[in-house]
Amino acid sequence: MPESVTLQREKGEGLYQNLGERLKETSRELCGIMFLYCSAGSPQLESLVRDFLQHESGMEFEVLKDASTQTLAILLPGLTLDATHYQALLLKQHLQETMEGADPRITLTVFPGQVDPTPGVLRQMAESTRLSTSSDIHIFTKEEAIQEPGRILIVDNDDTIREFLTIRLKMQGFETLEALDGTSALELIEKWEPDLVLTELNLYGIDGLPFIHQIQQLPVENTPKIVVLTEQRVERTISQCFQNGVDDYVTKPFSPVELDARIHRCFH
Amino acid sequence: MFSHLTVAYTFIYVCLGLIALGIILLIQMKVSHNKEQQRREMYERKHHDYFMYIQAHVENEGALRLPPGKLKPLERRVIQDKFMEWIEQFKGECRDRLIQMCRDAGFVEADLKALGSFRYGRRLEAAYRLGGMRAEEAVPALLKMLQEGKYSSMSIIIARSIAKSARKSEDVLEMLRSLLSHGKPIHHLAADIMLETGLDAGSLLMKLLDDQDPALIKVGLVAMWGQAVPEVMPVLGRLVGSEEKDVRAEAVKLYLSSNPALKDETIVQLMNDRNWEVRAAAAKALGPLHAAGSIPLLVKALQDANWKVRHNSAESLAKLGEAGFEALCQAALSGAGIQREAALQRIELEMEKEQEHSAIEQMVAYNKKRLIHDRYFGVKRQPVARVTGVAAVGGDYTA
Amino acid sequence: MVAIYYVMIVNILYFTITGLSFRNIFKIYRRSKYSSYNTLSGSELVPSVSLLVPAYNEELTIIENVYCLMTLNYPTYEVIVINDGSSDHTLSVLIKEFKLVKMVNPEIRGTIDTNNVRGIYHNPDYPQLFIIDKENGGKADSLNAGINFSHYPLISSIDADSLLEKDALIRMARMYMENPEEMVAIGGDVRIANGCLIENGAVQKVSLPRKIWPMFQSIEYLKAFLGGRIGWSHINGLVIVSGAFGLFRKDYVIAVGGYRGGYPGEDMNIIIKLHRYMLSHKLPYKVAFCPEAVCWTQAPDSYKIISNQRMRWGRGNLKNMIENRGMLFNPKYKVMGMITMPYNVLFETLNPYFRITGLLALLGYTLLDMTHWRILLTFFLLNFLSGYLLSVGAIILEEIAFRRFKKLSDLWKMLLFSALKFVGYHQLGVIWRVQGHIQYLRKNNSWGAMTRQSWKEESEPA
Repeated sequence: MPESVTLQREKGEGLYQNLGERLKETSRELCGIMFLYCSAGSPQLESLVRDFLQHESGMEFEVLKDASTQTLAILLPGLTLDATHYQALLLKQHLQETMEGADPRITLTVFPGQVDPTPGVLRQMAESTRLSTSSDIHIFTKEEAIQEPGRILIVDNDDTIREFLTIRLKMQGFETLEALDGTSALELIEKWEPDLVLTELNLYGIDGLPFIHQIQQLPVENTPKIVVLTEQRVERTISQCFQNGVDDYVTKPFSPVELDARIHRCFH
Repeated sequence: MFSHLTVAYTFIYVCLGLIALGIILLIQMKVSHNKEQQRREMYERKHHDYFMYIQAHVENEGALRLPPGKLKPLERRVIQDKFMEWIEQFKGECRDRLIQMCRDAGFVEADLKALGSFRYGRRLEAAYRLGGMRAEEAVPALLKMLQEGKYSSMSIIIARSIAKSARKSEDVLEMLRSLLSHGKPIHHLAADIMLETGLDAGSLLMKLLDDQDPALIKVGLVAMWGQAVPEVMPVLGRLVGSEEKDVRAEAVKLYLSSNPALKDETIVQLMNDRNWEVRAAAAKALGPLHAAGSIPLLVKALQDANWKVRHNSAESLAKLGEAGFEALCQAALSGAGIQREAALQRIELEMEKEQEHSAIEQMVAYNKKRLIHDRYFGVKRQPVARVTGVAAVGGDYTA
Repeated sequence: MVAIYYVMIVNILYFTITGLSFRNIFKIYRRSKYSSYNTLSGSELVPSVSLLVPAYNEELTIIENVYCLMTLNYPTYEVIVINDGSSDHTLSVLIKEFKLVKMVNPEIRGTIDTNNVRGIYHNPDYPQLFIIDKENGGKADSLNAGINFSHYPLISSIDADSLLEKDALIRMARMYMENPEEMVAIGGDVRIANGCLIENGAVQKVSLPRKIWPMFQSIEYLKAFLGGRIGWSHINGLVIVSGAFGLFRKDYVIAVGGYRGGYPGEDMNIIIKLHRYMLSHKLPYKVAFCPEAVCWTQAPDSYKIISNQRMRWGRGNLKNMIENRGMLFNPKYKVMGMITMPYNVLFETLNPYFRITGLLALLGYTLLDMTHWRILLTFFLLNFLSGYLLSVGAIILEEIAFRRFKKLSDLWKMLLFSALKFVGYHQLGVIWRVQGHIQYLRKNNSWGAMTRQSWKEESEPA
């Protein structure tokens, strides 16, 4: 999010305040909430959304509008996070089909969940919807509400793995960057100074042990921790990696839960 | 000669016809391949949000939903391929959930039907996909497919699918039996295929090692390379006495790698075995063992015909303290040819290790060796060079 | 006359071999698509390989090549670069880039005779890399020195200007593992990298060469590899495994005495020797071709260099045939003796002479009586059309199984150049071969110039 954008807080004040209070009252019941913003800003947006949600059977909903910023807030009581996500993608598809040139941006979360439904948080969610640079549906997480997330650099040539890891780690609140090969990874480590490098051993450019060596010889203040996630299962390779200061070694196929645990361990 | 002209003319016309046909075929193939590629990319983009949804929530308790809307067959393929990629990369609950989704979406059913297709290509593709989706319903049909065909690369593909999907160990064993029945020594490949299974590797290995068929025993032994599987150790003891040369060698290597206590007679027997692999493994194991009678045996083995045996013997002698090192120096001075060479190599390596020691005991041991060395060879001014190890992994064949 | 018979027989043979390739292409396609490597590429169970890279005056491309080889997707292997007494800075460039140090006491296990080895360089930070520095002795001699030092049971000979694809080696190893006892040698597919986008030591985007000479060679290689070698390997009559990328069993290579030095054509020579050895000892064996394992190489793009290369091939070919003439029509050598070797002698080595005499005879005949111009035309058309049909066949094979060329314009270009080949390139090939023979007879054995271009020049986006 660009930091230099000022937000017109005054007008939207009332809406978020009310919303915050309402959600606090029903704080023990599950409620999904999503913020929807369309840069095309058509006046029919609200009615389209209402029609669509009405056709979705057996679902309660409520649509509120922030008139000053043209952002819609949609409440879905009783829905879990994944159900809310699913509804969001159905809604996005519907809008893309029925509205011309629509480019809907959605940020969603669920209360109670990772964050508290304070007006500040709600405002932040709405802002992130408007300022979002990617058209992907975005899940708002706790660590976004705090500052100083940990930095992880993900290095792997395989798009599938990179995408999955980025999604997961972002959801846990880490700040992530991706690198496709050894040489660009080394450049990024030097420039961006991540706290942890999650890398495959089989890369283009430079890989394996020489790559690990180079990481440790880079002129950065704190050498990042290294977690290796690879298909290589040869004993010798594993022991050589550990001898060279790698913090953890996970073989593919891997259990995402286990990987999370190992990464979190590195951060403490 | 002129009569042949008509033959030549027909040949020319046939050529022209075939060329025209070939070019048309080429254009058609290329256009259709490109179109399919474009459509695939379009579908991937279209379902990008859905894929993100799955990846974000694959851990959660609730059931994941199926892709929205009515899907064309290529769309289903694109989604199925993506699921299969994830199943391949993940372990644990994530994978189980994805496998369930493939079932719910009807992908397994569709490919089971394709298994009965008329064209071999379709059947093989279905077999591959069913393996990728770990579909246990397909295993009987896959086993049949494996047994019917001749041995070829396709057999390996089908075998892998069986290994991935099987839920009963008998199926895996039957697959291995079928694979190895053709008489090709593909034990390493078979071990790799077997290890892809989702079943408990330990119990599967036990079953393999207990089997009558020596080929299966060998697969079990090979599969244990680089992994310590403690429950298997007692069985190894029995296999060391086996008749099959390969089985014996593998079993001995694995048995010795766990550093067991060996009786003197066993040591002598192993060091005199006919198979060089057994001798080499025994020589290597004697180093950490510190058994009294090893030194003369090892010195004798320095003259062995096989390079690996000599190398391991020298290495073990160096580990046996001053007495061992002294024996090495003696062999280097008084011996000739290969014995001398092997001894010298090891001595040089040990001497170079001056820089490596941090602990006091190691320093002391090193200095003692230095003294012995100087006594035999005189004080030599040696440049302190880095120790460069020689990788000695895997078998070697010297002429 | 004889010429027309000759042309017909050689065409029947070509078509049979191409037909065999077609028979196998679907199997190859399926094998390439459905074999999985993700467990093999990290497994202890895969045999270890020593890559041998003889290098002579390769200072411009050697670093990129070594980085490419060090990043292969393979569990356990080593890269041994053999500096064959280069007169340029090949060795110092390597030492500087990888901070190599001379090994004090390298263990050399092997016993093949080679020229003097001056030293072996290594850096434990790059544990797989070894550089052997030796006195100049030629490519075969360097390979033998590499074999002497190598630590693993499989060896792979690789050219210093080859860029292997990441999974090329594991695909070859998979083929080996499916039949370990019998596989003696496996050849890879060599493709022309001119015009492709090369980054990070790999070919990122494939396209056809822009200059004419590499373009002709591109078609030629497609025909030879896909149309020819697949078919020959099916009947176990493969006579050559490209020196740019081939995998061998070290013990058998040592048993036949290593590579024959002193003369070009050592890649064909080692294969013929292996066939002879296995057949004489009545051991079941196979010399195979693995088209999914691809190696990209830089093709010569000037007349001088390519003519030198072809003359060298002609020389080597003739010497190999003469040395092994005992195999011709000898039933002891089965397919090699009865089909491959005679085919090679009659239709490759002696090809120019039959064609030239036939052509001259026909010309003479026509000049005598101009109404027979039809016969001459027939002769030309026969040659042209059958050759063109084979080219189209090779392009179809490529499209069925590999599909590396995406654009439709690439297809038109290939079809066009397949036709243009007959307006000069083909004839030049014949002339170069004859020149090679003349060199052999004259005992002229110079290597000729091969000026290396940096890979960077070729990496402009297509």
